[in-house]
Amino acid sequence: MSTIIPIGPFHPVLEEPEYIQLYVNGETVESADIDLGRIHRGMELLAQEKTYDQDVFLIERICGICSASHSWAGSLAMEDIVGVKPPDRARYLRTIVHELERLHSHMLWVGLGGHILGYWTVFMWGWKYREPILDALEMITGNRQHYAWYKAGGVRRDVADEIWPEVLKIIDEFAGHVDMLTGAILDDPVIQGRLKGVGILTKEDAIHYGTLGPTARGSGFDIDVRRDEDYGAYDEVDWNVIVQPDGDCLAVAVVRLLEMKESCKIIKQCIDKLPGGPIATEIREFPRGEGVGHVEAPRGESFHYIRSNGTNMPERHKMRAPTFTNIPSFRPRVKGESISDAVLIFAIIDPCYSCTERMAVLDPSGKPFMTGKDLIKLSHEKTEKLRRES
Amino acid sequence: MSKEVLTNLKTKFGDRVEIYEHNDRRAYVTVSNEDWIEVLRYMYEVEKGRLTTATGSDRPTGVELLYHFAIDTDRIVVNIRTTLKKPFPKIESLTQHYYAADFIEREIFDFLGVEFEGHPDPRKILSSHDRPADFHPMRRDE
Repeated sequence: MSTIIPIGPFHPVLEEPEYIQLYVNGETVESADIDLGRIHRGMELLAQEKTYDQDVFLIERICGICSASHSWAGSLAMEDIVGVKPPDRARYLRTIVHELERLHSHMLWVGLGGHILGYWTVFMWGWKYREPILDALEMITGNRQHYAWYKAGGVRRDVADEIWPEVLKIIDEFAGHVDMLTGAILDDPVIQGRLKGVGILTKEDAIHYGTLGPTARGSGFDIDVRRDEDYGAYDEVDWNVIVQPDGDCLAVAVVRLLEMKESCKIIKQCIDKLPGGPIATEIREFPRGEGVGHVEAPRGESFHYIRSNGTNMPERHKMRAPTFTNIPSFRPRVKGESISDAVLIFAIIDPCYSCTERMAVLDPSGKPFMTGKDLIKLSHEKTEKLRRES
Repeated sequence: MSKEVLTNLKTKFGDRVEIYEHNDRRAYVTVSNEDWIEVLRYMYEVEKGRLTTATGSDRPTGVELLYHFAIDTDRIVVNIRTTLKKPFPKIESLTQHYYAADFIEREIFDFLGVEFEGHPDPRKILSSHDRPADFHPMRRDE
């Protein structure tokens, strides 16, 4: 007889809600049912009642981690309607902030991965090394999160040249920490044991399920909007798209770790080549029309579509965060795996682990007999067992 | 046509598709309800388009569906459009051919009441479970 494990009822990743029921037989997961909608905020409707300028502040609040991605994608859609391009300096500044955001998002994910696995040192290192990146963001934009910096046509505030040496120093130190963490994580036999061959998503499934970002690239599905779309300064700097063919949890972790090095490369080149000149193209009015903007957020592609009716407010603003399309890939990944790995697999498809704190195991009568804490403990016990055996 | 995918669409479907190129990176293709699923399948199976998402909106002419396909190798987003008749909009589902459309079509069903025929799991997805079944928050009927 199957037991049902509900994960939820709401999950604050990207402020998106979700509720997952795992159907398990003994230790093995047989299937999963996914349900969203616990904290739906009606932002698409709200965006239709605000002006284009106000909308950028609104869509920034879709996610606390990748707020630059949404405001950039929204701004690109608005620029697409009008048919303007931002000035060169704005393109470079936007790219720098966007990549800093990727660094801190991936590092947050590494730290939380350590927490799930029971590697407290990795957790503390990850979060400690993330902090200077937030300082750099504060130096450039004035805020650690929700930068209020992007706007249709460019950026809102210019940056004094004096801060760049300090930002470069932070990036150099961070790159060293990433090297150290990458070595420590990939050389550890226990971490290898927990991640390798666990939660495999084949390339065919990755394409068919429409996965995005590191989730797709970890399965050999070679997509990256930074390369596949003409935006920002990505065409003018030297960097690589990281793709791993294996599709297991380790492959996704490796993609995220190596991507941080690429982001450091991009930021350094952008600072080096940063052109002068104006920071925004003025947009006086929005004509009738439609616009699409998409960017590569840390978790995958953020997509925005806006239709203008010629007034100062959009008629329709569609926004789609990457997690919405990545969540269904949890189904093929988790099938046939054990409960102690389900926590990890869930974390691999979605970089925010706070959801796991909200897991509870119910017996068939609906009475809880396992809490989120117990499930994390189960994962820790598996790591301990592997440690003892190695 | 500046991009290969648009030329291919025109060659394959002729007058059944109406193509508007907004610029060299964005195109909007209007098709009839009858040709809808054939064009969508062609975009995914032959052109290897990636369904990024779909927008449903209630317009004076009916409920408009706009499926956004990114052709990554060609650096273009092709948006396929059709308009469904109210008050009971209905169209064949893409999910049975391309699983990525699952959540996307469920969201449009939830908010606009579009019935996707052949969808394997036609439940609402984002609005609350106690919402009346015939109420769709983004419809502008009254």
